[in-house]
Formats: sequence, structure tokens, C-alpha cells
Amino acid sequence: MARVEVQLPSVFTPIVAGRLAFALEAESLRAAWQALRRERPEVGLHLFDENGELRRHVLCFHNDRNSRWLQGGDAPLRDGDTLLFMQAVSGG
Amino acid sequence: MSVQLLIGTDKGAFLCRSDGARRNWKIEGPYYKGWKVTAAERSADGGWLLGTASHVYGAAIHAGRDVTNLRQVGGTPRYAESLKRPLTEVWRIVAAKDGACYAGVMEAGLFRSTDGGESWAPVDGLNEHPSRGKWQPGNGGLCAHSILTDPKNSRRIWCGISAVGVWRSDDGGDRWQACNSGVPHALEDKDFPEIGFCVHALQSDPAAPERIWRQDHLGMFRSTDAGASWERIESGLPSRFGFPLARSRSDGALYAVPLESDEYRFPKDGRLSVYRSRNDGQSWEAADRGLPRDCYASVLRGAMDTDGMNPCGVYFGTTAGDVFVSTDGGDSWAALPVRLPRVMCVRAVAV
Repeated sequence: MARVEVQLPSVFTPIVAGRLAFALEAESLRAAWQALRRERPEVGLHLFDENGELRRHVLCFHNDRNSRWLQGGDAPLRDGDTLLFMQAVSGG
Repeated sequence: MSVQLLIGTDKGAFLCRSDGARRNWKIEGPYYKGWKVTAAERSADGGWLLGTASHVYGAAIHAGRDVTNLRQVGGTPRYAESLKRPLTEVWRIVAAKDGACYAGVMEAGLFRSTDGGESWAPVDGLNEHPSRGKWQPGNGGLCAHSILTDPKNSRRIWCGISAVGVWRSDDGGDRWQACNSGVPHALEDKDFPEIGFCVHALQSDPAAPERIWRQDHLGMFRSTDAGASWERIESGLPSRFGFPLARSRSDGALYAVPLESDEYRFPKDGRLSVYRSRNDGQSWEAADRGLPRDCYASVLRGAMDTDGMNPCGVYFGTTAGDVFVSTDGGDSWAALPVRLPRVMCVRAVAV
């Protein structure tokens, strides 16, 4: 199980009381997303849609790679990796 | 005595405070910066409930005592995962006298909380009504935006859904009947003729809840039988079309903002005007002294409220971000010295 850091955009400030970065443990990208929905539902509901997928205009960067370019959600995670969520330019 | 004015915009909330004279206002904010603040309500025990949304990050409800620092509730309204139905905005929050709270959302549905807004359950009798498959969105989307409760009968609830119509439940939300008789269809469905009515706003008389007023896409209406039937009340109005409808809690005066047709949605002739009725809608008069000429902004359905004081304070915000205040029941208006983002909701509270 890898311990990674989740980083949220500043617009999440009122949702997480200003704690925009926090640690999460998961083995893969998809497992991290599932853990976010399960363990941090107040955050997860804003990142994932009613189908459990990343919202249309939300990007997730695993270190410096856009998750949409990675193979499914099976990319393995390592200790110290970062998962940076941000609004896509397509979101306006 | 003081007055708080919560103004929700499409980029955050602003709080305006004044003493009982309501002449000088202190404007604070933005709070919930970057989030649309789409609905605001204050419960009987002094708690606040806000609906927030983002077209990127979705919708939630925040609750607490300090409106500038609320907490996102744990059980924010969501449809069951099996429905695969998005919930994109909270359009209206209403605190009922019995302590229950109701939230009207887009995609259309009604949710109820019995724990002060901390958790919300879908009102499936309405949300999964047999006609639901035929519900069509209006211009603003498929949204449940108007909620009335009966202070004398907690099992009676009304809900207005755009391009669908007004519904009433007499059994706490299990069964719902359409309440649109006397109102023309905006979009008739052959299989379900009880839907296709485009209600824009509802108000009722808390002392006589069977008396209801309705700004509809196709006119202004009144019911004296709890929504079972409706009659037109448009004498003096320059247009049948508009969105907000407010009612003074102190003297029962009604306030509307007519717009030039559903096609254009401007103030008629560029003259932003409130129309007031002091006789339950029997006739209307312009109440626009101090409001601007050459104004082509409009007022959304949630963006007008009254404060319950006497004389009545009336407040509204425009899609251009201006906020207007009347402290004499609409006789005269003044603009707050601020220009905000598009105003989505206004809630006035005398404390």
C-alpha cells in the first residue's frame, strides 16, 4: 500500500477547512479514487460524478501525468506520489 | 433589531448587515468564493442552510450557525447510485414550521431533512412519479424550484417544477397530485396531460395556506383552494411573464418583476420595474421609484425577498449584479453601493 498526497484546488477551501493537501493510502490510481469516495465523501462527491467517474471537467494528475493518458486506472502508486486534482480548461 | 441580507451569486455569497433603520449597510464577502450560491434559508432556530454548486464540481448543502463559515453537511442530497441521475444544483431550501427542511434540486427532485439539514432523503413519491419519464426541462433546466409548506398541517407540501407543473402531497410526500387546473399548458404531453405546466414561482399566505399565488410562464395566477384551481390575476401588469414573486410577511403585499415575453426576457422598454399588489393580486401597480432606466438585466426567481418588518423591506438582485433595497414596502428604491456577480438568490432576515 503506497502513501500518496492528494492535492486539491483552492476552491475546495470551504469544504476541507483549508486543508487542501492530505495523505491517502492506495495501491493504484483507481483504488485511490475509490478510497477518496469512501473515506473522504465530502471531497469525493465534487470530484466524481453519479457514475463514479471523474467529473467531465476535472483532471487528475498522477505526479506530472494526466490520468486520462494513463492505461485505465491501474497505474501503480508509490510512496510519495502526488495526485493533483484541478479544473480542466474545458470547464471554462 | 437588525437585518441580514444573504446574497448568493454565481461566484460566492455576500452578507449585508444593517440596523433596524436599514439605511446603512455593511457588505461582507465573498464567502464560498468560486462556488455558485444558489439557495439560502434560515431555520426557525437561527441556523443557516446554503445550496452551493459548480458546473465543474457539482452541488452540496452547507449548514451551521455562522453563515460566513458553514460546514458542508455529510449527507448532502444525492440520488441513489442505481439511478445514474445527476444532481447539479440546489434551487431552493425551505425550513418548515415542524422542523423539517426541504430542498428542491436539478435534475428535478425534492429532498427532505429531519435533522436540521445534516442529512437528506429523496422524496420518492414525487421524484419517481409515474410521469417522470415524460418530464421535460425548461429553459433553466429540469429543476424543482418552488416549495410551500403548510404551518397548520405538516403532511401537506407543494412543489413546483419547471415545465412540469405544481404538485401537492397531503400525506407527507408519499402521493402527489397535479395542481394546475385553470393554467394553460406550456408543453402538453399526450400520455400525461397533468404535466407540461411551467410554474416559475409560488407564494402562499402562512395564515391561510390554501391561498397561493403563482408566477407562471404563461401568466400570474391565484388559488384559494390549495392549488386545486387557479384564476388569472393580471390587472395592471405590463406583461404576464416574469420569474420572482415575493410576499410581505407583515402586510401581505405581493411583489413581481414582469419581463418582456419569454422570447426576450428584458425589463419592458429597458425600465426595471417592480409591480406590487396590495389586494392579494386583484390589481397591480408599478413600484419603481428609484429603479434604473436603460436596464436590460433581469431578476431570477430566487433573487427577491422581504424581511418581515413593518414597513416591509423588499430586496432583489439582478443578473447584472446590482442589488436594490426598499424599506418602505416598494414605494422607493435605492441601490446598494456594490456590483456583484450575477445574483442567484436573496434571503432577508430580521434578527
